[in-house]
Amino acid sequence: MEIGLRTLGLALWGAVLLQSSLAGRLDLLLRADFHPLVWGSGVLLLGLALLDLGLTLSGRRARSGRPVAGERRRQLVWLLAAAAAVAVLALPPNPSFANLAANRPSEQLEEPELSFVLPPAERSLTDWVRLLRSQPDPALHDGDPVRISGFVLPQPGDRPQLARLLVRCCLADATPVGLAVRWPPGRQPRADQWLELQGVMGVERHADQLRNVVIPRRITPIRRPARPLEP
Amino acid sequence: MVLPALLLELSVPALSVSARLVTAWAVFQGLLLEALPFLLLGVSIAALARWLAPGGRWLQRLPRHPLLGPLTGAALGFALPACECGNVPVARRLLAGGAPLGTALGFLFAAPVLNPIVLASTWAAFPNQPWLLAARPLGALAVALVLASLLRLLPEAELLVPEVLAERRLSQPLSAVGLLERRSGLVGLPAAPAGLAAPAPAAPGAAVSARPPLAEVLEHGGREFLDLAALLVLGCAIAALVQTLLPRSWLLAVGGAPTLSILSLMALAVVVSVCSSVDAFLALGFAAQVTPGALLAFLVLGPVVDLKLVGLFGVLLRPRAIALTVAGASLAVLLIGQWVNLLRL
Repeated sequence: MEIGLRTLGLALWGAVLLQSSLAGRLDLLLRADFHPLVWGSGVLLLGLALLDLGLTLSGRRARSGRPVAGERRRQLVWLLAAAAAVAVLALPPNPSFANLAANRPSEQLEEPELSFVLPPAERSLTDWVRLLRSQPDPALHDGDPVRISGFVLPQPGDRPQLARLLVRCCLADATPVGLAVRWPPGRQPRADQWLELQGVMGVERHADQLRNVVIPRRITPIRRPARPLEP
Repeated sequence: MVLPALLLELSVPALSVSARLVTAWAVFQGLLLEALPFLLLGVSIAALARWLAPGGRWLQRLPRHPLLGPLTGAALGFALPACECGNVPVARRLLAGGAPLGTALGFLFAAPVLNPIVLASTWAAFPNQPWLLAARPLGALAVALVLASLLRLLPEAELLVPEVLAERRLSQPLSAVGLLERRSGLVGLPAAPAGLAAPAPAAPGAAVSARPPLAEVLEHGGREFLDLAALLVLGCAIAALVQTLLPRSWLLAVGGAPTLSILSLMALAVVVSVCSSVDAFLALGFAAQVTPGALLAFLVLGPVVDLKLVGLFGVLLRPRAIALTVAGASLAVLLIGQWVNLLRL
């Protein structure tokens, strides 16, 4: 019984890791640096499961007798963990980015890098946030063309922002970065909706301070990107 | 100032419980998929050590000195660079192989920080804060020394789970094992340790030098991986639920207050449960909002105690020892954080 469960458990966890890689789930859950580690581990676990099965079938391993109480408890724990593995296989993740972001303070981004030689219309949302943080004079960017995409993040006491999640490791440490948007009158974007905005960067007064705001000329609903997390 | 912000937080109603649970499910998967490869790495290192050095004689030659032992264990982190999840199976192998208690505990608690990957990531995240590059490993070392000294006060039978203890006894000379503690030989049952301890044919104290068959090593490693994976599932589930339901700004709301900021960042480290190789990048996100002592507390406590890890400790330590570890580490980190705040604020 234990031998079968062990082989099954190793194979199941291997399948979880490999399937998560092949189905593209990792793009939604982990930073890309970790992806090879995950699929490599999946392959290794499946190989170990096959080896375990081979050793058992070839009779090179003694079959255990009736399980004692401690072993029964262990088998029950393995079964529960196997049920969790099946659930992970069957139920793909579908997180609400707005939910995650609402729980977390904004990311304090580091100094801008070479990407800021990009023309304004080619800057991503994250590039813009970095730039505005490093050059806090809003007038510097007034009128620059903007073309960004992100999800709608409601803000308590303010208009919804367009935001992205930055991830250092996995979704557990995701933190939001967002830009203020002057939405057209009467348009209330839905939380979590993915949009592409084309327009210009403007300046407005908010809480007695000047800040940059995206003034969209064109708003296009888009599907969540295959790789929605930013490093 | 803090209270209105918290009330505002509570008043953001848009998210239903079901939406939060769906998000928690995704966070759970993220944590689990990130941790499983490191767990496999740790189990593989432990299995390899068991195969290459079956008698574990070199483990027994490690220093037993109360100070040198934990320091040696901590230094082993440089040779076995794994994060805290991978460290548990390696520490288990050290303990089961008969390594001195202080050395194994020093490795368990300090190696998640004192390894090249974690030090490099700390350097990459905080290149302009050289004090942190020295304070983090020193803090981890201090906490490991405190915990090793504290846990050594408990008799081994009250410290280690029976399975590890049984396997450990097989690697120790008879003279090191009390008559009533012996499970085989003159007093006690025939040697048949249950649980994680693989049945070993030798009597206590006998030299076990023959290399075990690969099938046995594979069997042992497979069992160990599945045991730890089950505990990891539990830890990740708790961590995902807590961090999805508890707004993180609650924990960061007291960022400027010296003591409260340390306590809040300690709580954050326990809840977030991210791997020690990347937690410095996470800390970078709120470094400007908190006191230096709180920042250090986050970086030192997380690799020793977090929700994901407490379950894994269950394969090594008894509940009382886990409670002592949590309390001792928390107190030591609080004091270190306070001291740093006194120096740097």
